Amino acid sequence: MTSPRFRRFRINLLIFLSVLGPGIITANVDNDAGGIFTYSVAGAHFGYGLLWLMIPITAALIVVQEMVARMGVVTGKGLADLIREEYGFRTTFILMALLLVANLGNTIAEFAGLASGMSLFGVNRYISVPLAAVLVWVLVLQGTYRLVEKVFLLACFFYVAYLISGFLAHPDWGLAMRGISQPSLRLDSAYLYMVIGLVGTTIAPWMQFYLQAAVVEKGIKLKNYAYSRWDVLVGCVVTSVVASFIIIACAATIHASGHQRLADAADAAIALRPLAGRAAGVLFAFGLCNASLFAASILPLATAYCVCEGLGFESGVNKRPYEAPTFYTLYTALIILGAVAVLALRESMQVPIILLSQVANGILLPFVLIFMLRLSNRADIMGSYRNTRAFNAIAWVTCVVMIALTLLLVATSIKL
Amino acid sequence: MIYFSELQNLPAYDVKGDYLGRLVDLGIDPNRNPLMVASFLVRTPKEELVCINHEQIPSISVRAIQTSVSRPEIRCYDTDDGLIRIKKDVLDQQIIDVNHRKVVRVIDVDFDIQPNERHTVLRIISVSVGWAAALRRLLQGTLAKHTVRRIASTFPPKVIPWEFVSLIEPDPARRVKLRISYDRLAKLHPADLADILEELSRDEQKSVIESLDDEIAAEAVSEIPTHMQVALLDSLPAGKAADIVEEMAPDEAADVLQELPPETSAEVLANMEKEEAQEVRELLGFEENTAGGLMTPECIMVADSASVEGAVAALKIFSGPLESVHAVYLIDTECVLSGVVPLARILLADASTPLKELSSEPVISVPFHADERAVVDLFHKYNLVSLPVVDDNGRLFGIVTADDVLEITIKAR
Repeated sequence: MTSPRFRRFRINLLIFLSVLGPGIITANVDNDAGGIFTYSVAGAHFGYGLLWLMIPITAALIVVQEMVARMGVVTGKGLADLIREEYGFRTTFILMALLLVANLGNTIAEFAGLASGMSLFGVNRYISVPLAAVLVWVLVLQGTYRLVEKVFLLACFFYVAYLISGFLAHPDWGLAMRGISQPSLRLDSAYLYMVIGLVGTTIAPWMQFYLQAAVVEKGIKLKNYAYSRWDVLVGCVVTSVVASFIIIACAATIHASGHQRLADAADAAIALRPLAGRAAGVLFAFGLCNASLFAASILPLATAYCVCEGLGFESGVNKRPYEAPTFYTLYTALIILGAVAVLALRESMQVPIILLSQVANGILLPFVLIFMLRLSNRADIMGSYRNTRAFNAIAWVTCVVMIALTLLLVATSIKL
Repeated sequence: MIYFSELQNLPAYDVKGDYLGRLVDLGIDPNRNPLMVASFLVRTPKEELVCINHEQIPSISVRAIQTSVSRPEIRCYDTDDGLIRIKKDVLDQQIIDVNHRKVVRVIDVDFDIQPNERHTVLRIISVSVGWAAALRRLLQGTLAKHTVRRIASTFPPKVIPWEFVSLIEPDPARRVKLRISYDRLAKLHPADLADILEELSRDEQKSVIESLDDEIAAEAVSEIPTHMQVALLDSLPAGKAADIVEEMAPDEAADVLQELPPETSAEVLANMEKEEAQEVRELLGFEENTAGGLMTPECIMVADSASVEGAVAALKIFSGPLESVHAVYLIDTECVLSGVVPLARILLADASTPLKELSSEPVISVPFHADERAVVDLFHKYNLVSLPVVDDNGRLFGIVTADDVLEITIKAR
C-alpha cells in the first residue's frame, strides 16, 4: 500500500520524465566540439582566471532558456514564427540570414572537431570528414535519427570523464576558488575574445531556437510548465558543471604544466591524462567525435527547419525534395559547405576556426536576445506569463554587456 | 495589379495637396463586400491613426494616394473592429489553402486596381508566397518599384486565389464578426483536415475544432498523431471533448482516452452518452498492444440460424460506419462465433438463403489477449481485411480492422 505522499511523488516524477528532454538534450548539445575546445582553451591559456565567468554565464543561460521554453509552452509557436508574425518578413529575413552564417560557422566547427578527433585515431581528415558528412546526411534523412539520438545521448556520459579527471588532477583548489570568486577583467583583445567566445558557446543563439521548437513539438501543456522549468534548470546546471570541470581539468594539467598552448586535439586530450593516463587520447577522441557527430546531425537540420519556418517555405524530412526545395537545399548546402570548408583549411587553423565560430555566436546573441525580450514581455502574446522584473534585468544586462564587449573587442583589435 | 508591399507606406495627400501621412493598413468589410477594400488606414506624422473611407479616394498610384477631401472632412468607415485588416490579420500570418489542403504563411497580398468615375476601387485577388513575393517584400523601399517587380519576376509567381484562402482566427467572437467560417474546411477529407491541423498552433487547432461539426471534428481528430490528440482534447472543455470522443470509433476513442491524464479521461467519460461511454469503458479494460486493445465492438453480428434477409435487416440498422463493413459475423445462441459471410456473397444470394451456407470455412479468429504482432501475422498469412476477436469460450467481442494493422506495421518500420 503506497502512501499518498509517495504516490504524489511518483506522479510528479512521471510527469517530469515525460516533459524531460528538450532541456537535457539542449544541454548536451551545448557541449559540442565548439564547447569542448572553447572551455579547454580557456583553461589551458588562462588557468583559473576565467572560472568566475561561469557563474554569471550560468545565471544568464538559465534566464534565457527559461524565457524561450516559457514562450514555447505559452504560445505553442516557434521563435522564428513569433518573430515573423510580430516583426514582419524583412526583419525575419535579415535575422535568419545572420543565423545562417553563424550556424554555418558552427557546422564547420563540428566537422573540424570531428577531423581533430579522428586524427587522434590516426584517420586522415580527408577520409573522416566526407564520410561523416555523408553519414549525417543519410542518417537524418532516413528518419532513423530518433534511434541514433538515444545512442548519442548515452555516449554523453563521456563528460563525466572530465569531472573525474578534474579531481584526479589535484588542482590547486585554493587558486580555483579564488578564480571563481574574484572576477578579474583584462582589457586586451585576447581576453575579450575568450570571454565573448565563452558566452557564445554556452548561450548559442541557434540553441534557443532549437529549444523553443523542441518544447513546442513535445506539446508541453501550460499546466505542466513547472516541470518544464525543472528540465531546463537541470540542463543548464549540467552544462555549467561540465564546462567548469573542463576548464578546471585543463587548467590543472595543461596550464599548470607551463606548456599553456592548446593547438589541437592532442593537446586538449592531455586534460584527461590524470584519469586515463596514456589512453587519454583515445578517451578524448571518442568523446569529441561523439559530441561532434551528435551536434552535426542536429545543427544543420534545426537551422533548415528554423529558416524555412520563419520565412514560410515548406519544410520537413517527411516531404519529397521537390515539395520542399528550399529546405533540402539549405540542409544539404550547410553540410557540404561545412565539410568542404574544413578540408580547405590548414589543419593548424582548425582550433582557431572553432573558437571564431563561438565568438560569432556571442556577437549574434544580443540581437536575438533583444527580440526574445520584447516578445516575452508582451501581454497580448504571453498573457500573465510575462517576464518578471528580475528576469528582465538579468537578460537586459546580458544584452548590454555582450554588445559592450563586442565593441571593446573591435576597438582593442584595431588598436584605437 | 498592385501589391500590398507596394502600397505599404505610400504617402497620402488631402484634396489641397497637403501631406496627410503614410498608408499603414487596409480594411475589408466582409459584411458589405468581402472583396473590396473599404477602409484605408493612414498614420499621421503626429502618430495618430486616421481611417479614410474608400469613397474618398479618387486615385491610387505607385507613388501616392490622393484623397478627395480635406483633413477635417475625413469620414472613417463605420465599423472598425468588424474589418479584416490586411497587415494585422493576413500579412505574415498563417492561412489555410483549402484548394491544396495545406497551411501557408502569407508573404504578400495582391489587389486588382480599378479606377471608376468617382473613386478608385481596390479589390483583393489573392495572396502570394514563394520567392517572387519574398523578393518584393525584401527589396521594397530600397529600389524603384518597377525594378523590384522586374527582379521579382525572375521567379514564377505562387499565388493562392482569395476564394481558397481560409483565415484562422482563434477568437470566436471575432470570427462571427468577420464572418470567418470553416465551412470549406468541413468539406475536406478528414485525413487532409488532419494534415492541416498538424501545421497549426494549439490555439488555432482549438478554434478550428470548436467550430466544426462534432462528427467531422471527430474524424479529423482520429487522424492526427496521438500526442496532438491528447493536447487538443485536454485543452477543450470537457463537454465538447466528450461530444467529439462520442463520435469517434470506439477503438479510437479508447486509444485517446488511455493517453489522457486520468482525471481528464474520467471527466470526458462522465460527459459522454451512457451507451458510448460503456462501450469505451469495456475496451479500456483490455490491455494495449493486444487484440482486445486494437478491436472495435462495432461489427455486424447475426444469428447463425438467420437467412440473407436477416443480414440485410441487420445492415440497415447498423449504427457504425458502413464503409468499413466487409463481412457479417454469425453467432449462435451463446454468442459464440460460428461463421463469417463476406458482403459480396450476400449481394449475390437470394433473400431466403440460410447464412450458414454462405459462411467461409474455416472461421479465423483471435483471442483478445493475443499479442498485436500475432494479429499482424494472421492478417498477413490469411490476407484478411478484418479479424474477429473472441474470448476463451469463443464468444465474439469485436473485430480488428486492416487500418489498425497498417498503423502497427508503419510504426514498427
